[in-house]
Amino acid sequence: MNFLRGTLAVAAKDLRSEIRSKESINASLAFALVILLLFSFAFDPTSDQVREIAGGLLWLVFAFAGTLILNRSFARELVNDCLDALLASPISGAQLFLGKAIANFVILIAVEALAMPVFTIFYNVRWTGSIALMVAVILLGTWGLTVIGTLFSAMTVNLRLRELMLPMLVYPMMIPALMGAIQLSTLLVAGEPVGADNQIWFRLLVAFDVIFSLLALALVETVLVG
Amino acid sequence: MDRNFEYMFYGFTVAWLIVMVYVISIALRERRLRDELDRVKRMVEDQEREAKK
Amino acid sequence: MRTKIIVLLSVLAGGLLAWNLHTILLRVPDEASQGAIFRVFYFHFPCAVTSFTLFFVAMFSGLLYLRKQDLRYDAAAAAINEVAFTFALITLITGMIWGRIIWGIWWAWDPRITSYFICLLMYFGYFMMRRAVDEPHRRARLSAVLSILASVDIVIVWKSIEWFRTQHPGPVLEMRGGGGMAPGMEAPLFWNVLVFLMLETALVLVRMRQQSIQSEIESLRRYAHAF
Repeated sequence: MNFLRGTLAVAAKDLRSEIRSKESINASLAFALVILLLFSFAFDPTSDQVREIAGGLLWLVFAFAGTLILNRSFARELVNDCLDALLASPISGAQLFLGKAIANFVILIAVEALAMPVFTIFYNVRWTGSIALMVAVILLGTWGLTVIGTLFSAMTVNLRLRELMLPMLVYPMMIPALMGAIQLSTLLVAGEPVGADNQIWFRLLVAFDVIFSLLALALVETVLVG
Repeated sequence: MDRNFEYMFYGFTVAWLIVMVYVISIALRERRLRDELDRVKRMVEDQEREAKK
Repeated sequence: MRTKIIVLLSVLAGGLLAWNLHTILLRVPDEASQGAIFRVFYFHFPCAVTSFTLFFVAMFSGLLYLRKQDLRYDAAAAAINEVAFTFALITLITGMIWGRIIWGIWWAWDPRITSYFICLLMYFGYFMMRRAVDEPHRRARLSAVLSILASVDIVIVWKSIEWFRTQHPGPVLEMRGGGGMAPGMEAPLFWNVLVFLMLETALVLVRMRQQSIQSEIESLRRYAHAF
């Protein structure tokens, strides 16, 4: 139970700090809106075409905007040696990581929730598919992005070229989760049922989340200490 | 078929070109490292001699 | 001693390669539908197989570093990844040339070519990260972790893209139960795998020796600055 308490304490701290300053959410949301705008110039957003790529569009926006949040996750602790203090505290590396991951997850979901209506309006999307499944996809996909992003934030926190390196390292790793989420989102936006041969994408998402969550928890102590 | 021969040679050439470039870069790095090693060794010897004085 | 191994491996690899080239270029008949370009496969496949294996070997070397904290394992991992990266690049380019002839397109977005591209991207990040960290143990730790993540991810990426429609030729070798090549044509393929394995091992050993020279230089510098 102690593990959970420590984790939630870290999560609460990060969330509280974010709610007060709102820096990450604002920047990330603004970035998401800008990307949605830019994409509208890249192709003609008539409704037929958009249906085919809606899933991809959505998750690219989430991935790019999300990286802003995830990048800052550990970097914000560098000021005033907060990171050293956290590492010296009784909280284990895994608790620190999980707490931050949970906080990032909540913030990212908030940004996504705000960006979705805008996406729907800009691109005339009609949600005819199952909302429950869409929510499931968003939760699973976002957790995948969060786990990878938070872990790499921990890895690059002390690196010289952090801002440049993080996107370079993170996006290739996220590809399986993005792929699964994109496939499923495209189907659900078009209102098609998720048939048997598309179940595999759900399984991919779940497997990705499980595998990388476990890997991250196992490796984060190694990454942080020293 | 003749066109395919041409591309086959392109393929071979590219592959071995990359290997050659890599091997040459390794060899150059080797020479640079040895030079630097000699330089640093000489520097250490000079400093030791200075310290003994 | 090590120099002798390197020389021996190189000579063996060179000799085997020459003999193999003779077979590949002169004795093996043209493949029915693909013509001469097929012979590029004799290099593409060994490069693919060996580089893929080497990435995993490097991952194990990284794991050994994490276990034993011996920097030599990290040096080995870095050297192996570097060589694997080079040969993965060769794999990709020879594959592209082959694809240009067979399918008419340079890039096909099928599982294997895309996975390999992603692999190259990840390991490019690996090398960039190594350059950004100066402290040896920290660099070794981060490299090992990155190596583990990349190797696991590449497997998942591969599998997931496979579930897309693929344009890559189906399994051709007998052991995969696919179409099967004519018996005479398979042997040079496996010999070439051996050739590349030996070549790559030699290169890895050379790189590792260079890395120990590098660390000797660094420690001498530190000693010099102590005066």
